[in-house]
Amino acid sequence: MSTIRILNPTIMGITTRGLLGRKRALLLIPLPLLLIGLAVLGRLSGSDAGVWGEGVLIGLGMSVVLPLTALIVGTSALGSEIDDGTIVHILTKPLPRREIILAKLAVAFGITVPVAAIPLGIAGVIAGSTRLGLGLAAGAVVGGLAYAAIFVALSLVTRRPVAFGLIYLLVWESLLAGVLSGTKQFSVQQYSLTIADRIAANDLVQSTVSLPVAIVMSAVLTVGGTFLAIDRLRSFSLKGESA
Amino acid sequence: MARHETTPAAPTSVIHDIGYQRYEGTRLGRAHAVRALYASSLRSAFGLGRSAKAKFLPFGILGLLSLIGAVFALVRQLTGEGGGPTYYLGIPSNVGLLLIIFLAVVAPEMVSRDLGNKTLPLYFSRPIRRSDYALAKLAALITAVFAVLAAPLVIMFLGAALQSGIGLDGLWDEWREFSLGVFNAAFYAVLLSALSLLVACATGRRAFAAGGIVAVFLVSTPVASAGMEIGTGNARDLAGLASPFSLLGGVQEWVFDEGIEVGHFGPLYGLVALLLVAGCAGLFIQRYRKVTA
Amino acid sequence: MTTVELTNASRWYGNVVAVNDVTMTIGPGVTGLLGPNGAGKTTLLHMMAGFLAPSRGTVQLDGQPTWRNPDVYRELGLVTEKENVHGFLTAWEFVLASARLHRLADPIAAARRALDHVELGDAQHRRIETYSKGMRQRARVAAALVHDPAVLLLDEPFNGMDPRQRLHMMELLHGMAGDGRTILFSSHILEEVERLSGTVQVVVAGRLAASGDYRKIRQLMTTRPHVFAIRSSDDRKLASALMAEVSVAGVELDAKGMTVRASDYGTFSRALPVLARKEGIRLVQVLPSDESLESVFSYLVAAP
Repeated sequence: MSTIRILNPTIMGITTRGLLGRKRALLLIPLPLLLIGLAVLGRLSGSDAGVWGEGVLIGLGMSVVLPLTALIVGTSALGSEIDDGTIVHILTKPLPRREIILAKLAVAFGITVPVAAIPLGIAGVIAGSTRLGLGLAAGAVVGGLAYAAIFVALSLVTRRPVAFGLIYLLVWESLLAGVLSGTKQFSVQQYSLTIADRIAANDLVQSTVSLPVAIVMSAVLTVGGTFLAIDRLRSFSLKGESA
Repeated sequence: MARHETTPAAPTSVIHDIGYQRYEGTRLGRAHAVRALYASSLRSAFGLGRSAKAKFLPFGILGLLSLIGAVFALVRQLTGEGGGPTYYLGIPSNVGLLLIIFLAVVAPEMVSRDLGNKTLPLYFSRPIRRSDYALAKLAALITAVFAVLAAPLVIMFLGAALQSGIGLDGLWDEWREFSLGVFNAAFYAVLLSALSLLVACATGRRAFAAGGIVAVFLVSTPVASAGMEIGTGNARDLAGLASPFSLLGGVQEWVFDEGIEVGHFGPLYGLVALLLVAGCAGLFIQRYRKVTA
Repeated sequence: MTTVELTNASRWYGNVVAVNDVTMTIGPGVTGLLGPNGAGKTTLLHMMAGFLAPSRGTVQLDGQPTWRNPDVYRELGLVTEKENVHGFLTAWEFVLASARLHRLADPIAAARRALDHVELGDAQHRRIETYSKGMRQRARVAAALVHDPAVLLLDEPFNGMDPRQRLHMMELLHGMAGDGRTILFSSHILEEVERLSGTVQVVVAGRLAASGDYRKIRQLMTTRPHVFAIRSSDDRKLASALMAEVSVAGVELDAKGMTVRASDYGTFSRALPVLARKEGIRLVQVLPSDESLESVFSYLVAAP
């Protein structure tokens, strides 16, 4: 009975069915297949992984597949119910809001891992070594957790979480981080890279942020995002007359 | 309400019909309607007629691109370097990210809103045909993207043309390069618009449409570069087909001799680009044929 | 006994005041929340259900504020106006999930009971997205009462229901009220409110215009003459006699009988039988003809 107090299986079930049971789920399939497919192609081509590895593993995997998957899943876990109003049914229950948020987070994270982190690990193994694969997967797991917390919180803070999430990913993490090195200290992608770098110890993975910063900031973002989401859910308001 | 009055002073009694009146004036017809749809879509692309927040991003990107153009022109003035074919031709590929953002914001605004609000029956119970609607929207987006790409080109041209001591020959050369750049910009506008609209018309939610457009570009670009790194020889030359921007780079190489490395496959790139535009536009039009309420 | 209490509750959005200093108590039985569109009914219901914080004042259920207080949902059920259900669930799954989320001791039995209560037993294993509007409504009501709440709030529950469904829902609500529950439903359709509840809370432009039994409210409306439809053995004689009465403001005769407008309800109702007896006229019918909720409502809405 005590597990129910932390993660609510009913909510997790409904959320998962809602996320995966629709056409939207099909979007999640091509990305990991592409990743692994390219890694296989690269290996088969015989050229050294140093040539194409970074493009596939980092350029496609860490920079695109992981954040996009986390965005789609993280904003839909709670956001789709807010959009169509079904969240009322979850909220009119004597459940601590913490329980609801944790259940949603678990689902968002739980889907991101097999869709992004594991394929990334497999691609790493194919491209280089088991160690590389493990490093990438570990980095993606940590990144996925932080992203999930950020995007779930975002869906409670704004009515357009996907738009703001895209701005964060495109403008902050891609554009600015490439240009201003200071912003790298505040980029989840960089934290994933740092952790992957430390574990993989492979030249394919380069990181600029130090490990302690990466770990601490990931934790801060994850915990902070979770607490923010819980608080916002407690004050969740429905508008008055016909919205 | 009609009232019947008879007072000694009033000469006549009359009941006025102030109920529903039929419209008996001129009706402007389908062409006018399509032009109006085109114009209003173009306006909404830049947020005209809506709140300031809606104007922020499109005009912001237009401003940024103009600024980039101005910077290029200035640098050219000051250092005397720059110019030549790559000067104008290189602009669209260099500002790729800004273009993606522009498309991700504007394309959903054009089509996803009508889909999401279920206002399509309102359009289709009027003289315009389904294909008219789709083509008008496509034309409007192409115009918008082209305008955004042309702005820096114009500024750069003016900057070069107004240089002292350029002479008539120099002006003519500059004009030639500029025109080529404008054509190139048009290619980019057409292909990217067709692709973005096809993605956007899949959903009525603007955020998802934006995400979809971004995803298409974000995913295809590393795939193409990976292909280029992995492949050798022919495979390498063909890898550019995988992403819209590299496809356009290949077309650029074929038509203007200034793009990405494609070996003998220039015409193939051109053909694929053409097919892609036709395919996207066709599917886009097709999508509206089966619209229910 | 559970009561919902609002004390000087107000809610505004910037410059727009949606609810303006409302004080009311909703007790056991069926209460109708009545008002034109945009009057603030949904805002009030959302405040009572803990989905909006009052900008000023308090909204409480048995002394506990409803805002930021999930425990209140043990005793509270809400059926919103907007149709929002997880379409991919069947009614059974939906109500069962509701029961489980309420942490009921026997969710399966509770879900079964709730679905039988709204008579969705036959269709319960089909997905909700295949349901008609009335069935979806019933599924949502079942989910809202699966935990046997003492208070049930319904926002425009009869919207878009056909007459048979409406009757059925009314019986349902009557039955629940009979068990001692507090039921509050909002509507702008007067016949529904009239038929279902005696107690109304009338909300106009965010303010509470009137509350209580609508017939008593009518009697309180002293500035408007009361209208009676009277038939007697000799209408014209009665009419001329009535015109002499102080409490009578006007008399109208037509083929069906006569219509009397009385400026003072009390005095007139005492004076009429006396007058009739004096004149030797037999009263066949005396009907207060505007004691309908509609006349009460139009008066309250139109009042400056």
